[in-house]
Amino acid sequence: MSSLDAIGVRVEGPDLKALARRNAEPILHEIRHALARLLESGEETVIDLRGLPLSDFDQDFLVGELGVGELECRLDALGKSVIQETAYHGVWLVTHFNAGEQIIGRFVEVTFVPAILKSDPIDIRSDLDRLTERLAAGLEEGSAGEVDSQ
Amino acid sequence: MPSNMTLGERLRKQGVSRRGFLKFCAATASMMALPPTAVSALAAGLEKARRPSVIWLSFQECTGCAEAITRSEAPTLENLIFDYISLDYQHTIMAASGDAAEAAREKAMHENEGKYIVIVDGAIPLKDDGIYSTIAGMTNLQILKDTVKHAAAVISLGTCAAYGGIPKASPNPTGAAAVSEIIKDKPIINVPGCPPIPVVITGVIAQYLAFGKLPELDALGRPKAFYGQNIHDRCYRRPFYERGLFAETFDDEGAKAGWCLWKLGCKGPITYNACAVTKWNYGTSFPIQAGHGCIGCSEPDFWDKGGFYEPLSAGTFSAGGRLAAAAAVGVAVGVGSAVLARNSQKALHHKEGA
Amino acid sequence: MSLLDFARGPALEWSLIIFVIGVVWRLAGTFLFKGQKYLSKPKGTKFVSAGLMAIANKSFPPHELEKRITFQHYTGYLFHIMLFIVVFLFEPHIAFFDWALGISWPGLPTNVITFSSAVTVIILIALGIRRATDPVMKKLTTIDDWISWFLTITPFITGMMAFAHQNIGVRYEDLLALHILNVCLLLIWIPFGKLMHMFLLFPGRYQMGEKFEYRGVKA
Repeated sequence: MSSLDAIGVRVEGPDLKALARRNAEPILHEIRHALARLLESGEETVIDLRGLPLSDFDQDFLVGELGVGELECRLDALGKSVIQETAYHGVWLVTHFNAGEQIIGRFVEVTFVPAILKSDPIDIRSDLDRLTERLAAGLEEGSAGEVDSQ
Repeated sequence: MPSNMTLGERLRKQGVSRRGFLKFCAATASMMALPPTAVSALAAGLEKARRPSVIWLSFQECTGCAEAITRSEAPTLENLIFDYISLDYQHTIMAASGDAAEAAREKAMHENEGKYIVIVDGAIPLKDDGIYSTIAGMTNLQILKDTVKHAAAVISLGTCAAYGGIPKASPNPTGAAAVSEIIKDKPIINVPGCPPIPVVITGVIAQYLAFGKLPELDALGRPKAFYGQNIHDRCYRRPFYERGLFAETFDDEGAKAGWCLWKLGCKGPITYNACAVTKWNYGTSFPIQAGHGCIGCSEPDFWDKGGFYEPLSAGTFSAGGRLAAAAAVGVAVGVGSAVLARNSQKALHHKEGA
Repeated sequence: MSLLDFARGPALEWSLIIFVIGVVWRLAGTFLFKGQKYLSKPKGTKFVSAGLMAIANKSFPPHELEKRITFQHYTGYLFHIMLFIVVFLFEPHIAFFDWALGISWPGLPTNVITFSSAVTVIILIALGIRRATDPVMKKLTTIDDWISWFLTITPFITGMMAFAHQNIGVRYEDLLALHILNVCLLLIWIPFGKLMHMFLLFPGRYQMGEKFEYRGVKA
């Protein structure tokens, strides 16, 4: 690292922070409108942060501005995902990682509960079958079985 | 893997839960620049998608395009989709060689007549009957025509296949041409870039798998989802451009502060690609973020559009010599006309005096 | 070859060649032309040469007419200042001069340029309307004026459009190409029309001042 550190590149400065603030502000306005819509009509909004021209610094600034709320869920499916309610109720930050821990998707969801948290009927059906089989087998051989994850 | 299994079934077979699948679809939609509202349609489409046969032809190319898509280390979205297709012929990475390899191509064409996809990377030399690049005794031109005849669609992968690229750069000694200059009767999707972004390659395939049709293309045959906007309009350095803050050299204060690279020859404003949003190396960075202007590699003839380090407001020729010559011509004509004027003046004076 | 390739390549090259030949031709022809020889002595006793005085004097409205020509005089000044700012102090333009002449200088923030361009266009439209409606101006106006007016205003409009291409929904490269082609037409026109005043204005005033001096007239 020492040789890389020796390269005189400055990546942060007062300019960048002002820039990040300017880039984040319209998104915060959009979130404010989305929250109002959610209350009035129940309409949910998803904002794809990677679809916006934000630098990592800008994104971090925005995420810092949204803050950390009461609830955080972890999902293990095709790598980790973090579903976090921000300091604003109803505004969720959903970050998907791949198995290599790289971010493959980052969304701000304005909703009562993010869709990915709900159990899906297809999974429920197959697990219902599994439980039925297990009861029919008299709960023998091994434990309850683990949730497959990859 | 049974070839009749859908993508959804296959993922479930691999232990991917519905949540995992939704996450996969959300990330895929994000990389395809689809609006978040399209995730459910994408999920429904991918769930039912069938495994396509793909024949990959490599012609006048450097293998950079194949490297770009096959070199990912961790399991990624691009792998998941790429693994799912049935890649029946790719002479760089297939186990078979010689006659067996060519037989595999023939077999895939025969078994999937009218349904297989042909990926082409590299330009095709046309000069002297195409003798400048041959595989198994056949010219690239022959192989292309033969293979594409019964294909469903062609994906021109990389700038060489899409527009001729570097082989076609002046003076183009081999008469290199793009796929679209040769094949006129099949749908062609251009996925240019030197190389193209891996997720863009798989994004195009995913879109084909999910929606069963080819994506919407721009005037240069590129999918609008990825090539709809220029680099400049999606660039995080854009605010500096708006404010007129430009790096003048690669090591001045402006360069260190991350100012706009327009004056250093960045071709972002005239280059359509997803680099600024999707980025490279798992979303780590892209050329402009690394401090170098865009060279416009996803555009036709990018190699011959003037210097990479000349700004867009500069001409694409060298100004000095000819303009000096023009000035000399101007002086000569000016002196001549002045002399003529003086003479006629003199004549007039004499006349008046006489 | 795309439209932009054509604009940045052959179009710009040939228009620059015509521009240089034309301007140098006219300047050389004008300066080498032998003026009328005066046998009398200059009447003035001024310390500063009459030519330079004329350049200075002519830069202000003559007192007697001041009230009547306020509009065109001051809008003219404003227009030329704004034009100078836009042409010479917009960073991408400086990059052009750097390429063409090998010299560069600091520019102004882009919002200043945008404002100046808008002011320039508004003044040009106002002066154009005046030229088209004022009875005296109508008599003085020739096709040269209209060509010069048109070729001056269009690069400003296409330049601003190129900068704001996202709001218009036209691709940047097409608008940039249009802008450069506009400038090419302007370059070709400059040596052959009234726009040549950019080179001849001050030499002309100088010469007039010197001539008038022999006749004892204040320029």
